[in-house]
Amino acid sequence: MQPRRSELRLLFLSRLAITLMAALGCSAGDLLTLPEHFRPDPFGGIVEADRSPGAAPARTIVMEGARASFVSCHLLAIMTQPGDYSLDVGSFPAASGLQVDLYREWFHYLPATKNYYPDALVPIAAQYRSKLPDPDNRVANQTAQAFWLDVWIPSGTAPGTYRLKAALNADGKLSTVPIEVKVLAALVPAEDAVAMDHNTYGTSWLVTDYPSLSKPAGDAFFASDRYFELIQAYHKVLYENRGVFHQLGYGHGGKVGPEFAPRLEGTGKSRHVADWSMYDRHFGPLFDGTAFAKTHLGPRPTKLVYLPINPEWPASFLWWGEPGYEKEFLNVVGEMERHFREKGWTNTRFEMFFNHKKRYKAFPWDGDEARFPNDTAYMLEYKRLLQLAVPPDSPVKFVFRTDSSWTLDRQAKDLAGVVNFWVCGQGELAYQPEVARALKERGDTVWTYGASPLVTEPASHIALQALRPWIWGIDGFVHWMATDAGPDPWFNFAGGAEALVYSGDRFGVGAPIPSVRLKLQRNAVQDIALLNEFRKTHPVEQLRAEAARRFNGTELKDWWSPRPAYADKDPLDRTNADEGVPEGPKFHEALDAGAWQRVRTYVFDLAREVK
Amino acid sequence: MRGIIAFLVAASPLLVGQTQLSAEARAQELDRVAKAATAMVDGDVCLHIQTKRSIEFLQKKDPRDPWIASDNFDVDHPAFIQTKKTLMRLARLCPEACDANLWMPLEGNPEPVQVLIRNVYEMSSFWNWGNLHQPMPDEMKRVLTTGERVTFRGKRGMISVLAPVYDSLGNIVALVEVVSQERRDLQENVK
Repeated sequence: MQPRRSELRLLFLSRLAITLMAALGCSAGDLLTLPEHFRPDPFGGIVEADRSPGAAPARTIVMEGARASFVSCHLLAIMTQPGDYSLDVGSFPAASGLQVDLYREWFHYLPATKNYYPDALVPIAAQYRSKLPDPDNRVANQTAQAFWLDVWIPSGTAPGTYRLKAALNADGKLSTVPIEVKVLAALVPAEDAVAMDHNTYGTSWLVTDYPSLSKPAGDAFFASDRYFELIQAYHKVLYENRGVFHQLGYGHGGKVGPEFAPRLEGTGKSRHVADWSMYDRHFGPLFDGTAFAKTHLGPRPTKLVYLPINPEWPASFLWWGEPGYEKEFLNVVGEMERHFREKGWTNTRFEMFFNHKKRYKAFPWDGDEARFPNDTAYMLEYKRLLQLAVPPDSPVKFVFRTDSSWTLDRQAKDLAGVVNFWVCGQGELAYQPEVARALKERGDTVWTYGASPLVTEPASHIALQALRPWIWGIDGFVHWMATDAGPDPWFNFAGGAEALVYSGDRFGVGAPIPSVRLKLQRNAVQDIALLNEFRKTHPVEQLRAEAARRFNGTELKDWWSPRPAYADKDPLDRTNADEGVPEGPKFHEALDAGAWQRVRTYVFDLAREVK
Repeated sequence: MRGIIAFLVAASPLLVGQTQLSAEARAQELDRVAKAATAMVDGDVCLHIQTKRSIEFLQKKDPRDPWIASDNFDVDHPAFIQTKKTLMRLARLCPEACDANLWMPLEGNPEPVQVLIRNVYEMSSFWNWGNLHQPMPDEMKRVLTTGERVTFRGKRGMISVLAPVYDSLGNIVALVEVVSQERRDLQENVK
């Protein structure tokens, strides 16, 4: 089989990088750095998607950041000959409060492109020993191991410049790089301007993703402390990276996982909660924030959670349309409100959300991505029931969420005052700015949803998903599936469109591990949070316009799509084959890896004005 | 009819508790419920569950739209709800957790079969998760052609009894799968 042209080019660049290293006198081992948006390859170069003129590993790095935020970079241990090495990342002066977290970057092999991209981040100690080629990653002729360096800048750090040294020892020779962090006086607010949400469904996949935990526990796994700690670890890794985690706890037929709902007893007027223990064990630490105690961001209650409410829970669908349905619903949801109130769980928004689709043959209407007009009546009825169940002055925050695509414009009108949390198909909302505006003006929460950028797309593409909601003036984005890395993400990777975290099981970590893309997203989210603060002193449209200009040379109008022809069809006549109006190349193939860095420069220019 | 339903519902709290039955005893209990299903499920109503428009789309294929059939799947709400409630009542006759699912051959095409109503435990010996329709298993073919009840021992300790559903002309138009599992997987299909 002949190598393709792109492979030959890659090979050439890799060899060139190695040759240059040797010319620089680093035949034993050399430690170099790269900014976060230039992802390294396992041969001392930059991955194809992120390459740009002049970009190359360097012997030093300077990072700038506001307080209460992270700054990040890559470290590259490069060795032209196989052998052992040790990496020692020092520490910043204790008085600075700066904290370092170090990760080994896993190079995923992608058969589709026949190359390697780093993404999964394996947590390691600041002193680390291994060898190249890495025996676990098994990259043939590997000459470079990449590490992700996170530096947390606490809110109390004094503005100024702080330094540490990282050292690589290979074959008895030392190579060091100075790392400098410039801390600005500005403070990144705790509240994000855009919520980046990470969705998944159920828990059965945890058995296969964590054999080291599930096999020894056997049947007891789903009731074990380790199991609940594992679920909470998903919330924690996403919270720590300025994200939200959603885990749906019921199926399309109404089957509720026992850990996602209190156990019920009785029927009709005697229907009631019999046991809260599993539910409280699962959610208590999330709702009171203690699950997040050992994070840099500190303990705060989780922002949002799915309720187990569906057409079969808490009321049996057997009674639908009869007095018993209302009675069962009111009894149990009323108990939930009281329980949450008594526990003080008043900072989390509890979502009544219907995920079922009639194609799965359990209920006659679509709760998710509704399309048929006669399905609307069910939503109205559930709103009526929720209003009856929850006292109007309750401090517990119940919200009614729907995920909408086919009929967004119609639902926005029909469900005004009913649904107050909208998760919209991004392509649908893109041509309906008036819908976004109307929903926001009446106080609703508005997110969009979609897949995650593949690792083979430039590093800035993950930031686009955070920037777009802010440019649009809405509230967030859902990665519709964030935990499914595929059957073999390590050596046969499809690119990660449905994964931003990975199982840590193969590394002896009984918890999810983050990814490079997740970290890039987090750093963009914190930049946006800071940028959004300047709306106190600058017109927000001016901030948005400048961010758009720097990001991809666009104007704000370019971020909305023209109305496609299919939009005027009856929704029942639309198909997935209908072609929308594609976004321009500035949002896709022409979007370079450094796009976010230009926005960050703008944010920090503004931040430097803060004293 | 109303009296029978009242009996079933009144008895249900006594019947839904989990018991440990042998496979043979379970099969017998399921067969008893399946026999009742033949008596209780109205085949004429079943014929009205799926809308004509949805039937037209059911076997459509479009290489540019792989979801064309499922996106257009739709039902007549009263017919669906009436039949589902009957199935739910039947399931309450089981001494342990069970589901009563409705299966129907496709109109004008006897080869594929589709599950048309599923229930809360999301159990089936036959359904491939997410399939709109699928090839007809021999056991279902036998029920639809002979009117016999058929017991089938399926995957992961499931036992299903299939029973015919008749319309007012005496035609077998559907079948009910009454199914339980030796050890229920509480996390399966929660997705």
